[in-house]
Amino acid sequence: MISAVEFQSVSRHFGTVRAVDGVDLTIAKGSFFAMLGPSGSGKTTCLRLISGFEKPTGGNIRIFGEDVSNTPPHLRNVNTVFQDYALFPHMNVRDNVAYGLMVKGVGRSQRYIKAEELLALVHLDGYGDRKPGQLSGGQRQRVALARALINEPKVLLLDEPLGALDLKLREAMQDELKTLQQRLGITFVFVTHDQGEALSMADSLAVFNDGKIAQIGTPADVYARPRTRFVADFVGSSNVLPPDVTRALGGPDAWSSLRPETLRVVPSSGAALSGPITSTRFLGAGTRATIAAYGTEIAMLLPAGQPVPDHGDTVGLAFEPASLHVMEGEA
Amino acid sequence: MTPAVFPERGLADRLTGLFWRQPNLLLVLLLSPPLIWLGLVYLGSLAALLLQSFYSVDEFSGVVKEEFTLKTYAELFRAQNLDIILRTVLMSAAVTLACAILAFPIAYFAARYAKGRWKAAFYLGVMLPLWSSYLVKVYAWKLILAKEGIVTWATDATGTSFIVNGLLSIPSIGGNSLSTSFIGTFVVFVYVWLPYMILPMQAALERVPNSMLEASADLGATRGQTFRTVILPLALPGVIAGSIFTFSLTLGDYIIPQIIGNSARFIGLTVYQLQGTAGNTPLAAAFAVVPILIMVVYLTLAKRAGAFDAL
Repeated sequence: MISAVEFQSVSRHFGTVRAVDGVDLTIAKGSFFAMLGPSGSGKTTCLRLISGFEKPTGGNIRIFGEDVSNTPPHLRNVNTVFQDYALFPHMNVRDNVAYGLMVKGVGRSQRYIKAEELLALVHLDGYGDRKPGQLSGGQRQRVALARALINEPKVLLLDEPLGALDLKLREAMQDELKTLQQRLGITFVFVTHDQGEALSMADSLAVFNDGKIAQIGTPADVYARPRTRFVADFVGSSNVLPPDVTRALGGPDAWSSLRPETLRVVPSSGAALSGPITSTRFLGAGTRATIAAYGTEIAMLLPAGQPVPDHGDTVGLAFEPASLHVMEGEA
Repeated sequence: MTPAVFPERGLADRLTGLFWRQPNLLLVLLLSPPLIWLGLVYLGSLAALLLQSFYSVDEFSGVVKEEFTLKTYAELFRAQNLDIILRTVLMSAAVTLACAILAFPIAYFAARYAKGRWKAAFYLGVMLPLWSSYLVKVYAWKLILAKEGIVTWATDATGTSFIVNGLLSIPSIGGNSLSTSFIGTFVVFVYVWLPYMILPMQAALERVPNSMLEASADLGATRGQTFRTVILPLALPGVIAGSIFTFSLTLGDYIIPQIIGNSARFIGLTVYQLQGTAGNTPLAAAFAVVPILIMVVYLTLAKRAGAFDAL
């Protein structure tokens, strides 16, 4: 089967900076794919390589099987929702949404009909006459989405589209984007530095670090079985344990990851892990606490309703042996 | 223990406190000097000028009669005066258009590509001519364009003098040499006013975020479509600002047509001669009102065309 996007050892170097370095990537048709990573990890550059605003310095990119090495952005059937939305301030919402059809030479009445359809799709019926400056951040985001969808792209690229929204709106938009993607069946490629967002929305995700992909897989897989220390720490802030601690906890001589929520409090006598509480942080749905053990700090998650131990209390922690996930390599 | 409230240490603290309690006071202090200057000296002199234009000159005694009349304005409609106005407006329009076309690539480069050292070089290159005397520059151009000047020498040496000769043979804008033709006047006007077009244009283009151009290309627009539908409308306020400078400066200039050109009169030169040697201050004032009216019409049209929508 042809994939929506395929990278074959793609690199993008800016002088000595290797923004993207030998990335191999396959994005399945019709999937919701997230590119996750800290800023400067190369995820946005990867997105810009797909849209054509960056040219690879090495490797090949295929979109639906076609090599796009020599295809300028305006000839790629790929559209982008920009981080700052990039709405045209001198056009009203309708003309913004219809822009993609206008430049293709579609007649005014026809493109306005389509624009209204798209505005209805993003729940902005009746906003056509307004200027982008008169809209709230969330509304602007929807306009950007409608504008990017009007050309019925094969792939929709979203560059941290929810970054500027407040928490409540962001959660609502997450649900909406997911529903929209399932309804339209278009491949969505989503760039974010928010691991919660990536985990909750994506069918599969790639974790970027230093211009390379650290791990690629389904959210559940990446979360449960991080391949490297970086992934374990970046996705869900796991306890990353050095080889000697892993061995002390009954594992092999290797780095391992132990998720805070797999730990439960037990009496300290005889527990494999025990130590004094060094900090507690109330999160609402639970409390995150750390204990000092084996010369490091181990974090755990106490569900709401459980008694929270005091600072300095010595507690024991127990976990299922399967929760101790051993990682490969040194990195 | 540090106190919760620090004591006032002196005048600076008291003033800062006063401005905090009376925010409008600072505004009044800041704005009154320039507003007095603008109101009295600037607009006042303009009002005096306007008043003068409603007076007339007694044909026999040559004395200014301080009585309200529209006679002076009627004089503007004499064929020779209309000629002057038309010539000036055409020259201003041509200069503005040429400045806009020349300035755009320079401003675009400076706004979108130039960084660091290149940006400094751009500012220096654009501003440097403004630091030297206007008269010196105009006389320098006279030497460049004169029949025995650099242009003639260079075109003779390269065998391209037929181009200049061809241009000079065009009726009404041509002439004996570049320095005595309208083409010469035009070239020098464009040279002198070009920075005033480049700088506002560059400022306007700088405010167009790159992502907007990418969004346009992303949605399928060619470079030309992006230019027409995104860059130009967004840069238009800057273009209009620049054109106000080039247009009005050309409308009012009286030195360049005196030194370079075929001594046909322009509005500025006419005003200069009328109020000086001829002593006809009312007609000079009426002539001076013409550029103001032209600018008002121009800006109204620009506004109606939506030139300021992106502001």
